Amino acid sequence: MHENLLYMKDALDQQPELKYEIGQTDWQTDFLRFYQSQTNYNISKDNRSLGCSIFKGKKQYSFEIDSPDKVKIDLALAEALDIIDSLPEDPDFVDVEDDQSIAAARHLSNNILAINLQRKTDILSTLAHSAAEHDFELYGTFVCNFSESRLINSNGLDKYSQSSPIYLEVKAVHNKSQVTVLETFGGEDFGFFDLEAFRSRLMAKIKHADNPVIDVEPGEYEVILAPRCLAEYSLYLSYGMGAYALDQHSSFFEDKLDQKLFPEFVNITDDPDDPEMIGQVYGSGGHIYKALKLIDKGVFKAFLCNQYYHHKLGLPKNGNTASCLKIAPGTSSLEEMIGSVKRGLYISSLHYMNFINPRETSLTGLTRDGTFLIEDGKIVAVVNNLRFTERISRILQNVTALENKAYTIPFSDNYGSFSVSTAKAPHAKVTGFNITSSTKTI
Amino acid sequence: MEQKIKNIIAKLQSPEVAFADVRITITDYEDITFINGNLRNYSNSKGSPALGIRVLINGCFGFAGSKDLSDASIERLILRAKSNAIQGAKFQKEVLTFPTLKPSVAEYHHIPEIDPFAMEKGEKLDFLQNLATAIKPKGKIVHSHVAAEFERQEKYYANTEGSYSHTTVYNTLPLMSVIAAESGQMQSRTWPGHMSAGRAGFELFHQQMFMENTERIMKEAEDLLSAPVITEEKADIIIGGGHLALQLHESVGHATEADRIFGQEISYAGKTFVKPSMLGIFKYGSDILNIYSDSTDPRGMGYHPMDDEGVPGRRMDIIKDGILVDQQTSRHIAHKLGLEPSSNMKGSFADDFPLVRMTNLCIAPGKGSLDELIKSTEHGYFLDFTKTWSIDDNRNNFQFTTEIGYKIQNGKITGIVKEPTYFGITPHFWNACDAICGEEEWAYHSTFHCGKGEPGQVMRLSHGVAPARFKNINVSVKM
Repeated sequence: MHENLLYMKDALDQQPELKYEIGQTDWQTDFLRFYQSQTNYNISKDNRSLGCSIFKGKKQYSFEIDSPDKVKIDLALAEALDIIDSLPEDPDFVDVEDDQSIAAARHLSNNILAINLQRKTDILSTLAHSAAEHDFELYGTFVCNFSESRLINSNGLDKYSQSSPIYLEVKAVHNKSQVTVLETFGGEDFGFFDLEAFRSRLMAKIKHADNPVIDVEPGEYEVILAPRCLAEYSLYLSYGMGAYALDQHSSFFEDKLDQKLFPEFVNITDDPDDPEMIGQVYGSGGHIYKALKLIDKGVFKAFLCNQYYHHKLGLPKNGNTASCLKIAPGTSSLEEMIGSVKRGLYISSLHYMNFINPRETSLTGLTRDGTFLIEDGKIVAVVNNLRFTERISRILQNVTALENKAYTIPFSDNYGSFSVSTAKAPHAKVTGFNITSSTKTI
Repeated sequence: MEQKIKNIIAKLQSPEVAFADVRITITDYEDITFINGNLRNYSNSKGSPALGIRVLINGCFGFAGSKDLSDASIERLILRAKSNAIQGAKFQKEVLTFPTLKPSVAEYHHIPEIDPFAMEKGEKLDFLQNLATAIKPKGKIVHSHVAAEFERQEKYYANTEGSYSHTTVYNTLPLMSVIAAESGQMQSRTWPGHMSAGRAGFELFHQQMFMENTERIMKEAEDLLSAPVITEEKADIIIGGGHLALQLHESVGHATEADRIFGQEISYAGKTFVKPSMLGIFKYGSDILNIYSDSTDPRGMGYHPMDDEGVPGRRMDIIKDGILVDQQTSRHIAHKLGLEPSSNMKGSFADDFPLVRMTNLCIAPGKGSLDELIKSTEHGYFLDFTKTWSIDDNRNNFQFTTEIGYKIQNGKITGIVKEPTYFGITPHFWNACDAICGEEEWAYHSTFHCGKGEPGQVMRLSHGVAPARFKNINVSVKM
């Protein structure tokens, strides 16, 4: 797979005044979309792309070639060399990445081959059969990706990595009430997938969905956030941990390094080495990806910083991108947490969040896929989807308990090539959660 | 390419294949970004190929796509699309079917006024550099951003019914923004807002008067730092074209994509509150509201002579005199609903499978100028330039924040407010529309970034709108 990459490297090595970074990715996906407990589409896609950035002093030019060959490379390089002298400089650019560290080899299966379509539909048929007994049908996606990447640069960096994420998202929707519940699996090791356990969790949620559907008034509620919700809020919060946000003065964490911002039991780490999660061996620019404490006992500890912002802002470089967030579990059982709620909400999943003001971490969004009313420690009703308008910083400040167990949650990047990442989080109990309106629908 | 695509169709013609279509796209793309006055990114991708093959076998679609157009890749994709359909049909209850269409042939090649790929690179960079320099951080302005994205896409489509089309289009996305910060506060202003794209070349920068608005956005961003917020519970609001385009997009456009009715997009994009039984009777908006889908208008990015299922471009009413009368459909879903297919099936690139997509979704103009509308408003706010958008799973409950609001008292703008936020329920909101400006204010507002589908696709599409007024809207969000 590296012939074209090395051809480009050889050509650029003839130009000693240039610095460069060349990356090649071979990517493929097998993607099963299903609805009403049947296939919607089976989709296979693949791509080989070669990306190159060249630097002359502080001038920079980049190009990407899909399905590359030597003729395309020659043309693109000729154009790049023709234009680069005429470009204005970026005074903040200093150098390409210089971290030569090589990560330990990972042993991965190509899950596209390991979990073929027959196996996928067998699993879905089992789940659909169980759901149908309660008049629910299944909607969702069952995806396997496989990619190989190699990144080299003029500082001698040479990094190779593989990834093969699995993403199973099953929504069970009641045929009459439209009440929806969600169960997911994500990771790279299908050995962690236990069909019977997955089915049991889905069926338990379906049973909760048998409760009557009600509406609730806007106001502040005590809520139990499902692990997916806590993970998603943490992902949004990590925007402000990025050096780019700091540079443009839109970071909540500006001037807050080493300050205690959240309760002592809030710990967030960007950890690429958890075997249940999707790993990450190299980060920005090819820097090795290592575990990084972001929030330690409630104290903000580090910005996510690459080579460029390391030079520009003087922050320690780490190459992390918050792709493997882990929120550490606490000490309570889920039963204790729900049992201690006099009147509140259980929120399963979030939808369509957007920042109002990222510096304040204020945002709005909605609940989805199962919102439940808790009264006297028990789930007693399904609630229409609700809108919240909140500050993530306030949500974390108002956490009063974390579950003693964390769950792996898959997330997909729907604006790119369906890259899949995972986060790990426990349930969280939060006071004063601000519901601002009802959607009046499920 | 014409011969290549027709050869693939010939290979797909067989008794087992009920329908098949093939697309090839060749895309040029260029992205230029200045941050704080300095060139931060100049990148391109030229002649990027993509091929997608879709087959209907045993009542199930299978799809295979790649950027590799070699003969070996084509053979592999044909086999894969077929096996995907055959395997998919084993987990299926309903046989997918739709009526055949009379074959048609189409050719369309758009020529921009200033081809961004052919113009002098120096001229292009000088213009953007001057713009970036004009909004470079100073005073309370702490960050600035100038961006240009240019795209040229040539597309070939053919299907087993004999339809064929060959098109070329240019799309451009220009944008500039500044951030002002002081005492822990931050406010931003963009120009000309987030629906700034268009079916055009570099001329879009001139048409949208970027250079003429640099001082304005810097001053407004600084002024917003000390501006008040809206204090009323409810108010009349006039929404400017750029933001109204997004309101239309989220609460009518996506809501009337009929694939959502059947749950095909539940997993990511969501559902819709619209039900088939509402067609012809549901009062979606006030009597003055007329909304149509028009893929026959070449001024918008949603123009096509034929969609990605071989359906010729159409103009069709979605909401007529306030009543919901039609949907955006695929051939399969139109057949299920007893409708004519609406020519809304599109894939972003050839290796993306086609989805029900907005094309040019427009609000028909009313009467009068924006100045006249403001003059006729006793008390309210003029809102524009989207900052935050959010809408629920069923496209029913929305909440939007704009970058700036202009307070109106007795028909005159008397000041600004920061982060004006309004929320509502879709049909209540559109029924509160009491005035729409006329043809002279009507324009297309377009985006490169409408996300939908899994695997994800971002679609280029347009909305034709004129500013409109909505009465007694919730503008108070307690936080």
